[in-house]
Amino acid sequence: MRSMFRNGNLAIVLIVVAALILPALLSSGYQLRMVSIIWVFALLAMGFNLLYGITGQISMAQQAFFAIGAYGFAMLQARLGWSPFAALPAAVLIVAGVAAVIGLPLLRLRTHYLAMATLAFSLMMVGLTNRWVEFTGGSAGIQIPTITMGDWSMSRAGLYYTLVIVAAIGLVIHNFIISGHLGRAMQAVRDDETGAESLGVNVTAVKLRVFVLAAVYAAVGGIGFGLVSRQVNPSFGEFPVIVSLLTIAVVGGLGTRFGPVIGAIVVVLAPQALARFGELETLIYGLCLGVFLIFLPNGLSGVMERWGTRLFRSRPPARQPVAKNVVEGGAR
Amino acid sequence: MDKFSVLLFSGLTNGSVYGLVGLSLSLIYGANRVINFAQGEFVMIGTMSAILFMATYNLSLPVALVLTLGVVLAMALALEFAVYLPLRRRGAPPLTIMIGTMAFAITTMGLALLVWGPNQLSVPNILPMEPMTVGPLITNWQQLAIIGAFVAFLGLTWFILYRTSFGLAIRATGVDPKVALLMGIRSDRIVRFAFLFSATVSGLAGVLIGPLLGGQISIGVALTVKGFMAAILGGLGSPFAAAAGGLAIGVAEAMIAGYGNSLYAEPIIFLIILMILFVRPYGLLGDFEAARR
Repeated sequence: MRSMFRNGNLAIVLIVVAALILPALLSSGYQLRMVSIIWVFALLAMGFNLLYGITGQISMAQQAFFAIGAYGFAMLQARLGWSPFAALPAAVLIVAGVAAVIGLPLLRLRTHYLAMATLAFSLMMVGLTNRWVEFTGGSAGIQIPTITMGDWSMSRAGLYYTLVIVAAIGLVIHNFIISGHLGRAMQAVRDDETGAESLGVNVTAVKLRVFVLAAVYAAVGGIGFGLVSRQVNPSFGEFPVIVSLLTIAVVGGLGTRFGPVIGAIVVVLAPQALARFGELETLIYGLCLGVFLIFLPNGLSGVMERWGTRLFRSRPPARQPVAKNVVEGGAR
Repeated sequence: MDKFSVLLFSGLTNGSVYGLVGLSLSLIYGANRVINFAQGEFVMIGTMSAILFMATYNLSLPVALVLTLGVVLAMALALEFAVYLPLRRRGAPPLTIMIGTMAFAITTMGLALLVWGPNQLSVPNILPMEPMTVGPLITNWQQLAIIGAFVAFLGLTWFILYRTSFGLAIRATGVDPKVALLMGIRSDRIVRFAFLFSATVSGLAGVLIGPLLGGQISIGVALTVKGFMAAILGGLGSPFAAAAGGLAIGVAEAMIAGYGNSLYAEPIIFLIILMILFVRPYGLLGDFEAARR
């Protein structure tokens, strides 16, 4: 257990060092933008991983929280003239509040009903952002200014380094939660709610905490995406975002420690290679998602863990982390 | 009165399509506890195949219908053999299989993009679209055909489920797949039937709704979502509850758009569904499933 913990920390340090060296190897602003988006999606996926991969509660509202975070950040600055340093925590708090308010009634629902209800919430939000033009700026969205303080303003590279550090902190918290007491309780909730309750786990509290936490991860990611894109518009909350998120979760490996980061790297960079295929892109995207789901159910992270086990024999074999028994009474 | 009847019929027409997708989803869910996120794509393929066979190749209506059916049935088998069975064999939980069907939906859209391109195509209508009056109500043949198909499929589903021994086997599988298997019911076949029957229903719905929606490869996702909502609103356990949910959504949507605010009709519908789920977590008619827990 202790050695695994240390190995995990070593991996985080390696990821951060690699990420910090990376900009030196890139030539254009476009490439820098791409690698910034990796960390945005990694943050979004970490929250989803905690919620679905570990706790077994599916949410199709992650992209809505992603959008609300970015809109809150943009509107507090544009409409109320707040400084970005005040708008950022305020936007995160708004999202946490919204998540707590809708989470409490919604988390009584299970599996497909929960998926549908959260989807209804996010479609409602996207509908509002598209239609309430005078408040949200409609489909054109709102500009997000570069962060400035006095004479100093944040460059693209500065933004990238900030995102790497935020994502690294997010990853440390993510992994800490998984290996800690709360993580065990979350897995118990995933595998058997009644069983978890009888062992003294406060199921409602665990679900709600993780739901809010996942929303906060999504909000931080959304603010990062807004800063990278220099604007926010309704597409932040639309269907393609949740499809990317699911692909990241599946390709990286659901319920694993490094799945969100590995998945984000692959899913953000792969379309760059696929863009060369033009019209074939969607087709290849779908086929890849299916192939991963069927042949690598623990994702790339699962594959790497197997190699790791082979290299360092001392590590315990990889657990089967994919959410099981989410639906009781299903055909099995 | 004129406005009301126009709204009512357009609501019933859209609601019938949502209801048919909801019915398809619910039938598959009953057989294997999986939500098929590609169900709307069957409608899309139905619409687009109708364009291909009727407009592009200029085939006669019966031939085109048979070929369209062939396409959606082949698609259903592809879904079953390429996505559902491999995942089930590996013991994937239902939500993972749902993500698998989503992958199938994206793949289907990718293929359709290659065949039909991204633009909206006009769909040949089988029946005249000119307005006509039935008593005090204004409608047209295309709308009546969709509502008629809705009623016919509802009746057919009821007949299969409650008046044949095969239907008894389907319902037994829905109640408890393991016990059904012990009783000698081949649940694989039930699942295959559910996929094929749902594909037929959705594909024909696609042929009929095409002229009203317009033929575009992106219509599938919205229909899946509305059908999913219909099924959840009614209650996933029963195909009839799902169909009723679809009608309710369609009519409510048309009425809110007509008498309230057409701009906010969609968000309001989603809000209402959210509120209903707060109060009744298993849908309006979902007591059956709630009691099983």
